[in-house]
Amino acid sequence: MSGATMRMKMFASVATIAMLIFAATPSHALEIKKMTLSNGATLLVSEQHQLPMVTVMVEFDAGTRRDPKGKEGLAELTGRCISQGTKELTAPEFDQKVDFMGSSVGVSAGRDYSTAGMTSLKKYQGETLQLLSGILTEPGLRDADIERKRAEQVAEIKAAEEQPGYTAEVEFTKDLFADSPYGHPGAGSSDSVAKLSNDDVRGFYRDYYKLGGAIIAVAGDVNADDVKASLEKALASLSGTVAAQNEPAPINVAPGLHVKLIDRNVMQANIIMGSGGVERSNPDFYRLKVMNYILGGGGFSSRLVKVVRSEHGLAYSINSGFEPGKFQGAFTIGLQTKNQSSNEAIDLILQQLREIQEKPVSDAELDGAKKFLIGSFPLGIERQSAIASFMVQIEFYGLGLDYADQYPKLIGSVTKDDVLAVAKKYLHPDSMIVVAVANQSDAKIKTSQVEKAADAPSAQ
Amino acid sequence: MRITIFGNHRRYVSMAALGTLLCLVTAAPARAGIADAVKAQTLPNGLRVLVLENHKAPLATFNVFYRVGSRNEQFGKTGLSHLCEHLMFKGTKKLGPEEFSQIIQQNGGEDNAFTESDFTDYFETINKNHIDVPITLEADRMGNFEPKDFDKEKHVVLEERRLRTDDNPEDALDEMVRAQAYVAHPYHWPVIGWFHDVDGLTLDDAMAYHKIYYSPQNALIVAVGDFDGGQVLKLIGEAFAGIKNGPKAPPVSELEPPQTGTRRVELQHAANLPAFEEAYHVPNIVSPDAYALEIASEILSDGQSSRLYKKLVVEKQMVVDIGAGYDMTSFDPGLFVVSAQMRPGIKAADTQVEVEKELTAMRDAPVGAEELQKAKNLEQAQFVFGQDSVMREAEMLGVYEMLGDYHKVDKYLDGIDKVTAADVQRVAKTYLVATNMTEGVLVPTGVLNHGGGGLSGGELR
Repeated sequence: MSGATMRMKMFASVATIAMLIFAATPSHALEIKKMTLSNGATLLVSEQHQLPMVTVMVEFDAGTRRDPKGKEGLAELTGRCISQGTKELTAPEFDQKVDFMGSSVGVSAGRDYSTAGMTSLKKYQGETLQLLSGILTEPGLRDADIERKRAEQVAEIKAAEEQPGYTAEVEFTKDLFADSPYGHPGAGSSDSVAKLSNDDVRGFYRDYYKLGGAIIAVAGDVNADDVKASLEKALASLSGTVAAQNEPAPINVAPGLHVKLIDRNVMQANIIMGSGGVERSNPDFYRLKVMNYILGGGGFSSRLVKVVRSEHGLAYSINSGFEPGKFQGAFTIGLQTKNQSSNEAIDLILQQLREIQEKPVSDAELDGAKKFLIGSFPLGIERQSAIASFMVQIEFYGLGLDYADQYPKLIGSVTKDDVLAVAKKYLHPDSMIVVAVANQSDAKIKTSQVEKAADAPSAQ
Repeated sequence: MRITIFGNHRRYVSMAALGTLLCLVTAAPARAGIADAVKAQTLPNGLRVLVLENHKAPLATFNVFYRVGSRNEQFGKTGLSHLCEHLMFKGTKKLGPEEFSQIIQQNGGEDNAFTESDFTDYFETINKNHIDVPITLEADRMGNFEPKDFDKEKHVVLEERRLRTDDNPEDALDEMVRAQAYVAHPYHWPVIGWFHDVDGLTLDDAMAYHKIYYSPQNALIVAVGDFDGGQVLKLIGEAFAGIKNGPKAPPVSELEPPQTGTRRVELQHAANLPAFEEAYHVPNIVSPDAYALEIASEILSDGQSSRLYKKLVVEKQMVVDIGAGYDMTSFDPGLFVVSAQMRPGIKAADTQVEVEKELTAMRDAPVGAEELQKAKNLEQAQFVFGQDSVMREAEMLGVYEMLGDYHKVDKYLDGIDKVTAADVQRVAKTYLVATNMTEGVLVPTGVLNHGGGGLSGGELR
């Protein structure tokens, strides 16, 4: 869809989770079998026999929201280290085996949870699963490998900080979520990661990679009962559960537009503005889905794209979105525009926010939004990897196995009054955080007071 | 929207992503034995149509390829193909600006387009029951092109250039390397065009360009999905048969003269980390060497056990990321590219020495049997994984058909399978040599302004 902004590209777990749930409805329901393993894990299987390949995804309650204070980036680093071989296989030996089959095996940390997974040809599913279970049950976690992956993560963060969009996102996240579990970039900062010890990584693995409460999703050319049997065997030694995490306090942005300006030698201003959003379990979720589509989530059918891009030619990419998670997420609007257009673009955005709060949307807009959201659902669950992550999401967020059937009704029942009500309740054009990474002397963003603060974090 | 793929190189898979579930399939084409299942037809106006049933999911994808890209442009008018692509969404004699996308969305579909150096692809993915919608709309904008808001859209394209290239050091470097590697051939300039060229393009330029290059005889339709192929062929015929051709497109006749010595380019750019890109002229799929070069790129950089990754990311820890890439399906001979971004404190030149050692090893000795087999296995697996998306299947059929014959899709794995260790060594010796190389080095000037930069804040207004 319209300008999936570049800012979500580098450590993209947050946005993708939300989008997959949003994007997806079947005109045919997705056939899912649900089972429980003896160690307590939930197993979801979707048999897909059209291609001789298999995708497995294992969810652990080991997302970046579990990073301890001062140890930001630990969940990410742990995920990376787990896939560096087993007690028996060194990292190069492990990589050689995976690559020789043309398979992929890996672990990556998202905001709410981490996923370990594999994709392989059907003929290699047994051997690939063995490798996956090897790193999950007996990861090597050798000193040298942890040190190597730590240096790599620090370097990647420094590289990402070159991208103005990444820096804007990091600063926005810190300002909006402050000390809450979502208040740091998933990869951490170069400082926080550099300080992580080898034992921090081993401890995080020990504490959070427990299978008792985990979700395993399998999509592929398999038989559900056979898969259950092989997973029982492969993952038997992982049990136990992780204690629930305390819910953070609600996000509260004080009245006013709180502007943070970061001065960079760039041609375009990268601007993110927003406020607190909702948690995934909020019953207004579907109303917000429709409202946001009309406001800025619906590509060329959305008001922000129509006004800022099509009518004024100010941006290639502009969109708005809620990023609901286990906890309250953000509402954001992101765009890039030439430095000199910053004020004009911000003004246009504020106008649109006010307008959707003041006047009901048109029948055509409401109808178009519903038709797209419902009709495009199957597009989001075409590939095996998409089916597997869809299954993890419906289980993690408690949406129900029949979610694909329910979704059209949930979206279909939203009214114009609902849209107006949630726009009034959840949009705050007078209380937002605004971050702009720009050439500030060209952008001249209007602020009532500009204070010099600390140096930008990205200084070399 | 309007994705632009710059240059004709394949996208490099971030090494960080290789360990994850995401498997970005690059070179592998569609299903084995797929060609026999394709229904092909040429309409009386010359429009070529391929239709393939795929009942994996209740979806259909509809693609219209035009054999036009930056390769067909002229000096001073670069970026015209890509701008034209944008304008295709800005209205027809019947529809207003962006109405195309809005109608697709109202039918639960998604649409987009991208421009490459060789071709432009417009595509819609939609519920199988609504396949008639993109058919009607695409026929309309092929026959009734009448874009509105030209100046606004040009500004959008310039914003796209700022976003993707001017504020993106790696893309800015790639642009310079290609401009240096090609002196005569139109692959010299970037797909999005030089900033000043794009700024100077006019609506008349676009209208004239559309007339020539958006004729039925210059287009190719590929539809893949959960539908009745015969019925879809009929629908396509009804919608497109009446569209008239404009003048025939002139051939691209430029030939790149042989390179006879290393070329070097340096780019100073707002960045923190140095980077380099080394590009070697190589043949495309018309040469049997193409498959051996593909295997060479696999061995160098596909997977964490690949030579460059193992040496430079794992052992030496000199780079954030390194990749070797090659697209054998470019219309004219393309580039084999090795590129990397350094870690803090590492000099590009020191890393290039290590890369050269790996290339020397490839020239001096045949690759081992197991390593060769690994590369072939990777290709085979990706071949299957690539069929997990109807969009990808349509794209591959389209590219092979534009290269001459969609049946070649089925020959791909045979070609890969036949590659020997001696072939890999031979192509390394022939093409991956200093005299055939253009090297570009990014010298970072820092991303902060005025030496200080920094952070400030306040209240808006």
